[in-house]
Amino acid sequence: MKRFELIAVLAALVTCSGAAWAEDSVTIGVHASFSGAGAAFAEGMLAATDFAAEDVNKDGGLDVGGKRYKILIKQYDDRYRAADAVTAMDRLMIQDGIHFVVGPMGSAAAVATKDQTTSGKVITMTLAFTPRALGADAPFAYRPVITTGEFSDPQVAWLMKSTSAKQVVSLLPNDETGQQIGVANFNSYAKAGAKLQVEYFERERVDFVPILTRLLMKADGLELGGNSPTTAGLILKQARELGYRGPVFVTGGDVSAEMLKVAGKEAAEGTYVHLPIDTGLPDTAAYVARFKAKYGQNMNGFSPFFYVGLQMLFTAMKKAGSVDDTTKIATTLDGLSDVPTAMGEAGWTGEQKYGIKHQIDLPFYVGQIKDGVVTKVATCDVNACK
Amino acid sequence: MSMDIILAQTVVNGLMVGMIYVLMAIGFTMVFGIMRIVNFAHGEFYMVGAFLFAILYGSNEMPFAVSVLLAVGATALLGLAMERVVFRRFRGNEINGMIASVGVALIIQNSALLMWGSSARTVPPVVSGVLSIGGIVFPWSRLVVIIGAILAVVSLNLLVVHTRIGRAMRAVAQDAEIAQVQGIRVDVIFPAAFVLGVSLAAFAGVLMAPVLSVSPFIGLAPTLKAFVIVVIGGLGSVPGAVVGGLLIGLIESFAGTFVSASLAEILQFLVVIAVVLLRPQGLLGRKEREA
Repeated sequence: MKRFELIAVLAALVTCSGAAWAEDSVTIGVHASFSGAGAAFAEGMLAATDFAAEDVNKDGGLDVGGKRYKILIKQYDDRYRAADAVTAMDRLMIQDGIHFVVGPMGSAAAVATKDQTTSGKVITMTLAFTPRALGADAPFAYRPVITTGEFSDPQVAWLMKSTSAKQVVSLLPNDETGQQIGVANFNSYAKAGAKLQVEYFERERVDFVPILTRLLMKADGLELGGNSPTTAGLILKQARELGYRGPVFVTGGDVSAEMLKVAGKEAAEGTYVHLPIDTGLPDTAAYVARFKAKYGQNMNGFSPFFYVGLQMLFTAMKKAGSVDDTTKIATTLDGLSDVPTAMGEAGWTGEQKYGIKHQIDLPFYVGQIKDGVVTKVATCDVNACK
Repeated sequence: MSMDIILAQTVVNGLMVGMIYVLMAIGFTMVFGIMRIVNFAHGEFYMVGAFLFAILYGSNEMPFAVSVLLAVGATALLGLAMERVVFRRFRGNEINGMIASVGVALIIQNSALLMWGSSARTVPPVVSGVLSIGGIVFPWSRLVVIIGAILAVVSLNLLVVHTRIGRAMRAVAQDAEIAQVQGIRVDVIFPAAFVLGVSLAAFAGVLMAPVLSVSPFIGLAPTLKAFVIVVIGGLGSVPGAVVGGLLIGLIESFAGTFVSASLAEILQFLVVIAVVLLRPQGLLGRKEREA
């Protein structure tokens, strides 16, 4: 009997210590495609979460209402598939009881998990470019990255003026992400006085030569925005092998580092790329250097946006005085503006476009690859590039 | 660009892709024909071959021929180990062998992910530039793939038709028991056939590595294509794998060039359905004898 009592006391102690630990920590879920062609994006998202947690934890934890919380991380791979995205989100929400998620990463995943996260009041920080990722029907979904909807029009107008291209072709994956970007790009090119022909392909495809042979016949421009870095690099490499020497635009995503690796310096020369960050800013440069030092490779440009998103989330938690009342935290987050972050002062925009102010508000840039290095050639806001 | 030029380029593209499919499908169909195992891990040996070549030739700048030999040789050793540890137990047991092969595929893929990471790697081109004939542009990198694949198929044909071990393999494929009665050591022929199939897959990976990119996930698509091709050509039929591979490569290229990429995928599977309905044994396969 005494032995039984001792076991019971030990069990109670273990349970109590577990509960105390749980009360003093906040877990951030990372929901992204760690396998497959989009893995570089996912690694960038995880790194941002890792850095944000590291910074908070080294100062003794997140100070909310006089109590300090350690930031923990739990990650799941959705393998770039909507069905797996739903399962991964279920595990984060139900199995792990997480209220804050960096992700979902892809548009299909964001759309597929929207109802789950809304009903579970889970605050998400998505990379999904689809306009459907945000809206009044998703009051807990935020987007800390700048998407095609924000940068497409001003960038394309500037690029068409700079290169005089009129007949541009685009290859995009045949899924939610690709189709949304295809429509947005088509409209942007039409506004800029150019015609965009979009061809969709299955995401697993790696040989684009048959499609390029047909498309490049009459094209004087090639648009690769909306593809994963690996795919953009493959298409560029194969287009150059076919003898295409015209201008190449990547008006979406930050694919430069990985694309250069895949296509090679020679094939990538002169390519215009969307540049989400300005490494001339000291804090941004420090983030880039930190990533390189820790992971030994070039950073995906989206990574610091998630760091900024988490900086804003932590600020909201402190102001709201809560780490679990997501309604209160979301309301506080909505009201944040001019928050000092690693990429300058950030706030939220998008009320007119999406019906909710959950789109990050930061400047963006156009870059050009010259001798394997991306150089900033224009600075943009949602109205124009200069 | 005139129609003649586009047609010629489309044929070259189709032949390149088709010849890679041929190499993949021959290995796949040989393993089935001799061991009666549908090896869904076949594409992972393609991936391992490509990765080893990327490391040897790309990262360590070893000579091309040495890199090819080491990449194919090391993958063949991995294949031999897999045959010893896993596949040997499933000879003739088609369903269990197939399930085991899916497990092996997942183990190899995830091991590659752990060892080499998820990022895609590129391999410097073995040759660069284009061959221009009358305005038709052929990238040398793709011509090298076609030439390499043709050499591999011809060598395999010489081995299977004109050597003692090749004749033994054909005998075992026809009837393992009778072959054994005739003095053929089937315990040597089974692993030899498996390693030969794996080596062909690894060589296909080596050829494609400089043209495409290399990542732990590149093995799935060639496996599925190889499966489709052997269904079209006939399970166990090497000539069927050649015909099926070239057919699928050319369909992909022509449909992709002249209609759309999505239609190319649809057309391939329409061909498969038509073959299964009209000629279930495949274009060059033999009908199974009923007991």
